[in-house]
Amino acid sequence: MEITGEFAIPAPRERVWEALNDPEVLRQCIPGCESIEREADNVFNAAMRAKIGPVKARFTSVVTLTNLDPPNGYTIVGEGKGGPAGFGKGSADVTLEPQGDETTLRYRAELQVGGKLAQIGSRLVAGAARKIADDFFGKFQEVVGGETPPSA
Amino acid sequence: MYSFNYRRVSSVDEAVAALGKAEDGKLMAGGMTLLPTMKQRLAQPSDLIDLSGVGALAGIKREGNRIVIGAMTRHADVADSAEVRSAIPALAHLAGRIGDPQVRNRGTIGGSIANADPAADYPAAVVGLGATVHTNQREIAGDDFFTGMFDTALEDGEIITAVSFPVPEKAAYVKFPNPASRYAVVGVMVARTGGGVRVAVTGAGPSVFRVPAMEAALAKSFSAAALDGITVAADDLNTDIHASAEYRAHLVGVMAARAVAAAG
Repeated sequence: MEITGEFAIPAPRERVWEALNDPEVLRQCIPGCESIEREADNVFNAAMRAKIGPVKARFTSVVTLTNLDPPNGYTIVGEGKGGPAGFGKGSADVTLEPQGDETTLRYRAELQVGGKLAQIGSRLVAGAARKIADDFFGKFQEVVGGETPPSA
Repeated sequence: MYSFNYRRVSSVDEAVAALGKAEDGKLMAGGMTLLPTMKQRLAQPSDLIDLSGVGALAGIKREGNRIVIGAMTRHADVADSAEVRSAIPALAHLAGRIGDPQVRNRGTIGGSIANADPAADYPAAVVGLGATVHTNQREIAGDDFFTGMFDTALEDGEIITAVSFPVPEKAAYVKFPNPASRYAVVGVMVARTGGGVRVAVTGAGPSVFRVPAMEAALAKSFSAAALDGITVAADDLNTDIHASAEYRAHLVGVMAARAVAAAG
């Protein structure tokens, strides 16, 4: 299943690119993310708590950033294991395009779920995935757009 | 098997207190979604607070021009109620076609709308009939109750006590059920009331929604022909193994026309 979306972020592209690579920003934006740690340069371990309707499951996932093309975009690959609940994996191609002082962020994500999540949730997976993606990028828009660039 | 605390309460206040004390408590109405989810280990609440012993939450009564249904009223009781059948036959019809007999004899109206499954039937009635949701804290207009997929305006610790439906001039609910689950692939409630016409769609999108273009057309002429040429965009509709977004968009028109015809 494929989902796409587009967000206008009121920040310059360099700033958006930095934020996309900042684990702390990612932690704030990933819905239900409890912790995220850098394992290697572009590999992160994240613990998440997913809550969709009656379902409440803890996931541990590995997030890898590939196809890095600063500051134009990258591919974010995630694979999560939810114990008895099943697993989910997905990847999103993220591209950034400057629009004056703003940046247009576009994503094209592909998702797969397996295990019990897929068995009983198949009719809900697409909607849930869209909600998660929109929550993530919506929050990202808020976090990045509402912040002044850190004085490094 | 894993353990959890089971608590059967006898009042709403007791339920609120039990929920407040629990580490990760969950209210249970009929349990028709929650229990299968727990059996699959997709939810593991620390405490299950069973509302089925709260007698004050069950029952159906007529108050003036409204039918008031207690939150713990089972679907089968709504379907069989003489009061509902005479005042709002569309609502009795809807309740009688939820799930299967087992679900209808356990599942409740409050549980259904609190869960807010995108394919549940009752949301179409709450929005389509312009109902009011009563909780232990306030009254919420039906139009404001459902806020997204599995999302409602309910706050933590807020418990639905009843749903009150104004009696419409005429109304009908028609759904295209999934043949296995009887969930609505698309379900449409059409109602004509003193306040105008309402068209509410469930099953098609992430949450129940109204179709203003259809409502305007039906307000001018309440006939299936008035809906000719009015389409719903497929963009934000659901796609799954049962039906594509385009197919669902098409079904909205078909179900709406059938509902208008059925309402007469």
